[in-house]
Amino acid sequence: MHDPQLQNCEDYWVGRFTAMASPCEVLIDTQDPILAKQLAGIAQQEALRIEHKLSRYRQDNIIHTINTAQGAIVKVDEETAHMLDYAAECYELSDGLFDVTSGVLREVWKFDGSDRIPSPGQVKKVLARIGWNKVHWRSPNIRLRKNMQIDLGGIGKEYSVDRTVILLRDAANVSCLVNFGGDIATTGPRRQGKGWLVGIETPDAVPNTVTASTKVYELQQGALATSGDARRYLLKDGIRYSHILNPRTGWPVQGAPRSVTVIADTCTEAGILATFAMLNGAQAEAFLNQQGVKYWCIRG
Amino acid sequence: MQLKKPKSIRGALATATCALLGSQTPQPAVASESGTNWEFDSALLYYSEKDRVTAVEPVVNARGDLGNDRFINLRFVVDVLSGASANGAVPSDRTQTFSGPSGQKSYTVAPNQTPLDPTFEDTRFAASVLWETPTSENVTSFLGANFSTEADYTSIGVSGTFTYDTNNKNTTYTAGVAFSHDTISPEGGAPDPFTEVPTGLTGGGEDDEGDDDHEGEGGESGETKNVTEFLFGITQIISRQTITQINYSIGQSSGYLTDPYKLLTVVDPVTGDLVPGVDPNNTYRYLYEKRPDTRTRQSLYWKINHQFTDDVVYLTYRYFWDDWDIKSHTVDLRYRYELGQHHYLQPHVRYYQQTAANFYHYFLVDGEPIPQYASADYRLGDMTTTTIGLLYGAQVGKHSEFNFRAEFMKQSGESHPAEAIGKLRNYDLFPDVEAIILQASYNYNF
Repeated sequence: MHDPQLQNCEDYWVGRFTAMASPCEVLIDTQDPILAKQLAGIAQQEALRIEHKLSRYRQDNIIHTINTAQGAIVKVDEETAHMLDYAAECYELSDGLFDVTSGVLREVWKFDGSDRIPSPGQVKKVLARIGWNKVHWRSPNIRLRKNMQIDLGGIGKEYSVDRTVILLRDAANVSCLVNFGGDIATTGPRRQGKGWLVGIETPDAVPNTVTASTKVYELQQGALATSGDARRYLLKDGIRYSHILNPRTGWPVQGAPRSVTVIADTCTEAGILATFAMLNGAQAEAFLNQQGVKYWCIRG
Repeated sequence: MQLKKPKSIRGALATATCALLGSQTPQPAVASESGTNWEFDSALLYYSEKDRVTAVEPVVNARGDLGNDRFINLRFVVDVLSGASANGAVPSDRTQTFSGPSGQKSYTVAPNQTPLDPTFEDTRFAASVLWETPTSENVTSFLGANFSTEADYTSIGVSGTFTYDTNNKNTTYTAGVAFSHDTISPEGGAPDPFTEVPTGLTGGGEDDEGDDDHEGEGGESGETKNVTEFLFGITQIISRQTITQINYSIGQSSGYLTDPYKLLTVVDPVTGDLVPGVDPNNTYRYLYEKRPDTRTRQSLYWKINHQFTDDVVYLTYRYFWDDWDIKSHTVDLRYRYELGQHHYLQPHVRYYQQTAANFYHYFLVDGEPIPQYASADYRLGDMTTTTIGLLYGAQVGKHSEFNFRAEFMKQSGESHPAEAIGKLRNYDLFPDVEAIILQASYNYNF
């Protein structure tokens, strides 16, 4: 593990590292390089800890243990139990659209820009192995049916941003902005009550400009998260299949925006609202309007 | 998602998130559009018609970003106008002499020349303020006020425009209303329509004449004009590269809509010659014009902007019609060609075509009844205006842009209308107006 790269910018320090397959950075409102190094280190450790814990590519973590238990009961640690409780709550609140058991759909859906659409039969076969309602979960014990899997990656990055914010708040009374691959939260206002400047790409309706522009927001408190990735799709017979899959049908959600960005009190909440909005497809904006949050959807 | 409890989901999620993070209720998010940035635009415009009006117009515009999507825009304009403008009379083989409404400032037009009033000189100051603020989640309001004054004209106005964003800000509906109240106080008072224009015979008599004529009229208080205008529009983002807009506007003007400086020549029905004034003090007979005291104007406006990889094309079309029977079409095309390294060229072509007002007359005919309304103001006649131009822009440093624009404009109408009588057939009754427009602008962003 490399130490975070430190850089001095105007009146703050930035620590950069890579975790969860994303560029990560922490902006630290201090002139003190030693404090900056210490705080960047805390952020990196926490990001890597959660990556290690939730990665579905590892064979030495709790996710692997659960997914390979072959129908046996697995007792999980307290943090994992909280995440499973959260996943259960999200499943309920979304009427089954947000489902941590839906990852197995990736076996038939490969979003590589190609035209390889699975057959309805293939999708149906996988669908039989999906459904949080088929999971036996009574904290701290979980039992999956054989061939089922869970994946907490959908909430892991935002969760690690919030966890890092909590640790940084405890470590020093210095404002930090945590940015893990575009999922962002701040520990609080900067010196002199200023906020951190965050650029958000928005389609611009100002006359005489047609380019998408970056609006700069000053984030004093709270978090934002983005869901969506323009490059992940399939195209067949002129139909664009988004990478957002409906776990109830096994097919891509129709009419989902290209990306959704939400501002909320915590990064986890912003992230789940953005994900729910994507799962609402064409009704993404209507859903977000009902929630009364500040958001940006990019379509087209 | 078919949410059964749509309203409650956010609260439930927040509670679940708190449980997950093992923390107390988080501080609510505070995010605002950043900064209190000021952007200054200054420009100097030079407009010069061949042999006619020249205008020099400095403009300063300041736009302040007050944060939280609030903006204030302040604008100051000074217009310095001088030169000659067509007074409405037709050319003749005689020397023609005209004077202002109260008999002063007389001027003489040589034979065979289009009569131009060379005393045209004015300085106009205008100031406006526009306040933009979000009023609810998807509604933004724009409240404005403006004031302008020149020697004989004062205008005050207020406006309110509201935009409603929907479809995730890809569609914006606009509704606006504006009122203005103008006061027109020509030197010596507004002349009575269709009275004879004093033609400036030398000697003291004509001064008295003028004063007597106008003392009892509108006089110092001036004439007034009110304008109410409504606008409705839809702006649609079609893709990341394309935006389009359609506006409809309807406006009603009422009050004094006549131009106190425009007149009509009364000509002989056979020869087209000037005829002597009915008033023996007037060498020839010219009448002050008269326009209706209401005008309802409507227009449809369509705009599309499209960005190619770097270049941008701006196309607009406007159709205008009013109850004076003026109909016009305007097509305006600009193409922003990026030269790279923050330099660009922007060619511009504009074509404008209008039909005449139903009371437009090149002249009046002696012996025929005077129509209810009449004006020989060429701006109310059939005409086409073509403008071509080029703008060069360059970014200078990190925060500023400089641009320079040069345009050529030509207005043409019916030079030899069918109704021309006798000698008038030999004259150009609608001489082309040619103008050059030069503008230098500098924009600075703090």
